[in-house]
Amino acid sequence: MRLRALVRKEILLLLRDPHALAVLFIMPTLFLVIMAGAMSSYLQDRLPPLELVLEAPQQSDSSRFFLSALQAQLPDSQLLSRGPAEMTRIRLAADFDERLLDTPHQGPSLSFPAQFDRLSRQRLHAAVTIALAQTRLRAYLQDSGALQEGLTSAEQLELIQQRTESQIDEQERLASGDLSNQANATQMSVPAWLIFGMFFVVLPMAGSFQREQQSGALLRFRCLGLGLGTLALSKLLPYLAINLLQFVVLLSIGIYGLPLAGLPALELNGSLAAYALLAASIALATSSLGLLLAALARSSEQALLLGGGINIILAAIGGIMVPKSVMPEAMRQLAEISPMSWALDAFLTLLVGHGSLNDVAPWCVRLLLFAALAGASGLFLFHKRVQQTQWTTHY
Amino acid sequence: MANSCWCSSVLELNQLGYRYPNAQQPALQGIDLHLQAGQCLGLLGSNGAGKTTLLSLLSGVLPPSSGAITWQGERRLGLVPQQLAFYSGLKVRENLELFADLYRLRGHERRQRLDRCITSTALEDKLERRAERLSGGEQRRLNFAIGLLQPAELYLFDEATVGVDASSRQLLLAAVQELVAEGKAVIYTSHYLDEVERVADRILLLHEGRVQLDVDTHQLLGDQPELFLEWPERMPDTLLPLLGELGLMAEQLPNGVRIASLDVAQLLAITRFITLQPQAPSLLRFGRPSLEQLYLRLNGGRL
Repeated sequence: MRLRALVRKEILLLLRDPHALAVLFIMPTLFLVIMAGAMSSYLQDRLPPLELVLEAPQQSDSSRFFLSALQAQLPDSQLLSRGPAEMTRIRLAADFDERLLDTPHQGPSLSFPAQFDRLSRQRLHAAVTIALAQTRLRAYLQDSGALQEGLTSAEQLELIQQRTESQIDEQERLASGDLSNQANATQMSVPAWLIFGMFFVVLPMAGSFQREQQSGALLRFRCLGLGLGTLALSKLLPYLAINLLQFVVLLSIGIYGLPLAGLPALELNGSLAAYALLAASIALATSSLGLLLAALARSSEQALLLGGGINIILAAIGGIMVPKSVMPEAMRQLAEISPMSWALDAFLTLLVGHGSLNDVAPWCVRLLLFAALAGASGLFLFHKRVQQTQWTTHY
Repeated sequence: MANSCWCSSVLELNQLGYRYPNAQQPALQGIDLHLQAGQCLGLLGSNGAGKTTLLSLLSGVLPPSSGAITWQGERRLGLVPQQLAFYSGLKVRENLELFADLYRLRGHERRQRLDRCITSTALEDKLERRAERLSGGEQRRLNFAIGLLQPAELYLFDEATVGVDASSRQLLLAAVQELVAEGKAVIYTSHYLDEVERVADRILLLHEGRVQLDVDTHQLLGDQPELFLEWPERMPDTLLPLLGELGLMAEQLPNGVRIASLDVAQLLAITRFITLQPQAPSLLRFGRPSLEQLYLRLNGGRL
């Protein structure tokens, strides 16, 4: 009866606290949508189309073949014969045909505007290299008489592509390691900001305990002889429930909401049981951390600074704000100390790696150990704080 | 006196003492107290006298360093602390129901106690209002109501009426008197000594952690009126010889006297004397002393 009344009280207070609701639901939703949109051109399954100018002073079969070969390498991109000076340009030499079989060979020159990103430069460089190699092979075959007469340009390209392509056996061992470099913007943003939002339960949790102590409600509880277990559970249970609700709501936004913003929908790959285990593990870790911070802070302001500060640091080093795939090795090592990183790795194992319960178990075990450690320390300090609650005199 | 009707003991303190960790002097020492059902003890003392420590010991917040607290029967304690010990985000009704659940009140008793504490604190038309939107006085009344809701044998009131308007204060004091009339023991501490004088039938005055005075309120205030006389500069030289002639004992004050136990003839003689003096007294008061005057006198003017 007492525990039920305290849990009900905690939920009522939380539902009436617009700041807490904003921190727990609106903030992660906004982050999720904004960051998924912001990263959509960087972390994506299909590369964006390019718009290029190919300058070929010498109109010949070889230069036309090079154009076709390059277009085949960049299927969605637009290759123009002329365009403004600020566009990316590929300039073939005036004696392109004559020097095609030279060794060493001087290839076309590329010029990029400053904002042309490094990834697109690498992609264009690779496409030009392949197209040029195919053009040179065609020239060699033609020169040696090995190219069948009467083939159309398209047939020649198909033949050359067959000669230059090899079957490479690719085996992806899914559900292993850091998969943030494999994830698209949705797969990265949804779990990252979901985890971030879940960890923010520490703020209302710690704040509510501080208010309880400052108001004297805790003094009444102490005089009533309320047990430590009842008091701790009255804090843990509501926030565990809130965490699970966040999990469901934010994943649903990823699945149904992001497509409305023109972003890829989240697909829940992997085992559903694994999602349930992961949700429970994260919720236990965050609630236990909340209990610890509630007991550590000495005022609502301290709880806010401590909780917010710790969350932002854990997020910054844990690959929430910046994917671990773009971090240097030392930072990746550092990320391993953040429970947010463990939770994100487990999520990516499911979303990207199509993992099973066994695949996420190692991360869930880490989260549960963290929950046990933070929970035990929190309980110890919580007990001390309750014992220190004094009859205070203001007048 | 209310305590004459109730003979059962609620609480006994024997040589109770407490020393805060690392403190040189004990905050409380050698406190003996026998509190009976239907008795209201006014707990007085200057700041640092040990009142809060005593309340902490009684409420179980602090364990005694020495001596013992013996409860006759189960320790059932209702309390109204100085702090507004409720949830400002909850409505008045929700706060009361929460504490009713925590006090394990059910069924008829629950309804009865809720109705009673709401009526006693005049919160009937505030039930659906959030506590944070109540005025300061209304919040005090809610704090009071939560204390009254608890079924207990001993109620502790610590500065329970601070910020409450005059009419609400009358209501709350009446609620305390009702508890006492029902045979509940009450310990009431307040800096409003007129309140203590009204509700307490016994006064316990603490000074530097010890009991300086433990006395029946009526006995302390007495039934005999006394006369206070004070002059702006110096009292007439002939006053003391006159009092001697009238056979009166007088306590000398800086510029005047306090004369106890005087009859009408003696009072008239003094009045005549005053009318003959070139300078009129700056204070002339005849009547029973207030608790505040006695307190200041007993406590040496300490606050």
